[in-house]
Amino acid sequence: MEQEDDSRFDAIVIGGGLAGLSAAYTLAAEGMEVLVLERGDYPGAKNVTGGRIYVSSIRELFPDLWTKAPLERFIAHEEICVMGRDSSLNVRYDGSELLREPHQSYSILRGKFDKWFARQAEHKGATIICKTRVDDIIIENGRVVGVVAAGDRLMANVVIACDGVLSFAAGKAGLNKSADSGHFAIGFKEVIEIDPAVLEDRFNLTEDEGAARLFIGDVTAGKFGGGFLYTNKSSVSLGLVLGIGALVVEEPTVQVPELLNKFKQRSEISRLIRGGKTVEYSAHMIPEGGIKAMGKLYADGILVAGDAAGFSINIGITVRGMEYAMASGYYAARAVINAKEKNDYSAATLAVYEKFLNDSFVMTDFKNFRESLDVLKYPLLYGHYPELIVGIMKDLYEMPAGPKTRIFPTVRKHLGLRELWAMVPLCRRMMKI
Amino acid sequence: MNIVVAMKQIPDLQQIRIRNRCPVLDDVPLTLGKIDKNALEAGLKIRENAGNKGRVIVVSAGNRDIEETVKEALAAGADEACIVVDEAASDLESSISAILLAAAIKRIGVADIILFGEGSGDNYSGQVGARVAEILDLPQVGYAGNVETTGRTARITRVLEDREEIVEVELPVVVCILADINEPRIPSVSQILKAGKKHKEIIEIDDLTMETSGRRIETISNLAPETARKREPVNTCGALCAVLEKEGFWAR
Amino acid sequence: MSDLKAKLGLDVFKEDKAFPIAIKKGLERDPRLKKMVLICPAGLYGEDESGKIALSADGCLECGTCLLVCGADILDWQYPRGGAGVQFRFG
Ligand SMILES: Cc1cc2nc3c(=O)[nH]c(=O)nc-3n(C[C@H](O)[C@H](O)[C@H](O)COP(=O)(O)OP(=O)(O)OC[C@H]3O[C@@H](n4cnc5c(N)ncnc54)[C@H](O)[C@@H]3O)c2cc1C
Ligand code: SF4
Repeated sequence: MEQEDDSRFDAIVIGGGLAGLSAAYTLAAEGMEVLVLERGDYPGAKNVTGGRIYVSSIRELFPDLWTKAPLERFIAHEEICVMGRDSSLNVRYDGSELLREPHQSYSILRGKFDKWFARQAEHKGATIICKTRVDDIIIENGRVVGVVAAGDRLMANVVIACDGVLSFAAGKAGLNKSADSGHFAIGFKEVIEIDPAVLEDRFNLTEDEGAARLFIGDVTAGKFGGGFLYTNKSSVSLGLVLGIGALVVEEPTVQVPELLNKFKQRSEISRLIRGGKTVEYSAHMIPEGGIKAMGKLYADGILVAGDAAGFSINIGITVRGMEYAMASGYYAARAVINAKEKNDYSAATLAVYEKFLNDSFVMTDFKNFRESLDVLKYPLLYGHYPELIVGIMKDLYEMPAGPKTRIFPTVRKHLGLRELWAMVPLCRRMMKI
Repeated sequence: MNIVVAMKQIPDLQQIRIRNRCPVLDDVPLTLGKIDKNALEAGLKIRENAGNKGRVIVVSAGNRDIEETVKEALAAGADEACIVVDEAASDLESSISAILLAAAIKRIGVADIILFGEGSGDNYSGQVGARVAEILDLPQVGYAGNVETTGRTARITRVLEDREEIVEVELPVVVCILADINEPRIPSVSQILKAGKKHKEIIEIDDLTMETSGRRIETISNLAPETARKREPVNTCGALCAVLEKEGFWAR
Repeated sequence: MSDLKAKLGLDVFKEDKAFPIAIKKGLERDPRLKKMVLICPAGLYGEDESGKIALSADGCLECGTCLLVCGADILDWQYPRGGAGVQFRFG
């Protein structure tokens, strides 16, 4: 049944997500024969993100891409919300630089974006075949020489594994990354459709402006993680990200998906999504171990990019993975172009991929945020401190029937010596990021 | 032998959502009709049974996207395609579709057996096959569950509500195929890759000189039926039976 | 959890005749599986009175969490065949 196709590709890309499409786009633009195999019905069909892409660091890598890209709204307002059980404190940031073009970051829906990006790659000359799962990679004499998909053997000079967080392909080539549950998070979200006029009114936005809100504290019932809300053109993406390690070690008190319902019912949120209709529920795993969880990035005839390589980090304020996926896809393509010039696809030649990454923002970020996950895995941050902060706010704002206590003693009541002393290690941790 | 299969480009029905009782079609991927795929499979089988002597040619009329969509059929085994591209073709009236398809079939020249799905996946008018037969002045057999050919005759099993009728007819003939009569094959990657290289004859609508009357049927509304859910909570079988009985769904 | 079922009902799922995730025979009581009852974002793991864990087929979001938590020695886990399984419209 297995048949060998007569044509041989310069590169076969496994997975049509951001990493894979970036690699294909870049390769095709240089006139290389590239084939992308994607298991979804269309590119984007299997892909979930929170919804915010930072374009600034990757704009130059894809100069023609951004003017027509179907991004949702540029993020013009940032807000962080510390949630206690029944109160919350919001910090909102508005800055004129957020309004200036070119904009730093955008909200994004992958169903739309990936489909469009795939078309751009096709226009450059890439071949993209969907509804096709890669089942195996072909290794001959220790080198990766192709893939098996739906019974077909397809050969290429190099395979680029961009198959996302579970990356069976990289594993089969022996490029395993960490499988420690502490290095992964689960993200799940709802897309809630809201009339654009209502949305803009509620979030105080002009036509193309968008808002990003992050939530920490009671949203995750004290577990390591947080909530997010991004405004799209005519919907909001609302979801939670929870460290899997913490869920495994200590049982959550409620079914995890129920936390999202509780989140939606909070008065801070329910008024924002009132009248909206949920149109999709999705979930996906996120590698967030950073550099410590990364595996090897290349071997003879194969490169790994995007989530498959572990290029995603949790820097506290947000999960960032999309721009790393796009940049690593781009540099993987560059490494393949370089290998083709030399007509040598050995690990020694492909190693230039790692050099490209080291010289770019990608590895710089990963080194800088090496400790972020360990620092952030501090249970007090998700339960005790949020309660403490909103507790102080509550007393400060409360107007009792009798005389009001002076401000200093009010704060002192919450921040006794013992509490302050306990913060020292936290401050030390925080200094690492 | 030329086996012509008419296939229609339709939105992927599973991807359509309903908003305020109206279908939302933005961004819905396009595909070929499900019954049309049964017709293609039937066509491929006829070719195979004839010792692969013969060609399977897909005809279709649709907007520019059809050039891409038709590759699905070429990958699944059709030998070539002949398509009429008309930007307005996404919601054509059956009478006009029939005129366009008949023009494409005439362009092919020889058509020994012309297969249609009994109805299209999206609006299921069920007229186009019969209309094409009329235009081309050919016999037409509907509700076909099986088609076999020997020489210049086709033996067709018509699956009717309470019986099966077998008819024999001289080629050329138009046959309308029922849904689910076979399992359409799924192309492999190499077949998909080769599909891009197969011959596609593209006819621009402006190049056709023919008379089409304008729209004669106006769609006034296209709404999902209202499903007023009663939301009656029941916690025992007895209670469920009682509710169903009250609603007239069931009688003791 | 009927609310979760309703949410999953909003998603597009394409059928795969062979459901690609299964608990290996004899391991239905493994404590790691038990954790999935609370963790699976689609609520597909359930425990019966005897402490056996069962996985119900429809509605898997292919997030991979159960594979990470339980490991390949407890679960047969693979993606559905190409074109099958959940298809996100928004993502
Ligand atoms: C809830 C959530 C919130 C997030 N928030 C943000 C955020 O706000 N900002 C940010 O930058 N990042 C965020 N991320 C991370 C970001 O979404 C990912 O890092 C990014 O999508 C990774 O892209 P990728 O191309 O590497 O992988 P994916 O997008 O996962 O693409 C992998 C592709 O490979 C395909 N595939 C897999 N296996 C096979 C196979 N065997 N055969 C064929 N195809 C296969 C898949 O179908 C898929 O299309 C978030 C993630 C989640 C889950
Ligand atoms: S893959 Fe995710 S959604 Fe599917 S059963 Fe496992 S945990 Fe549940």
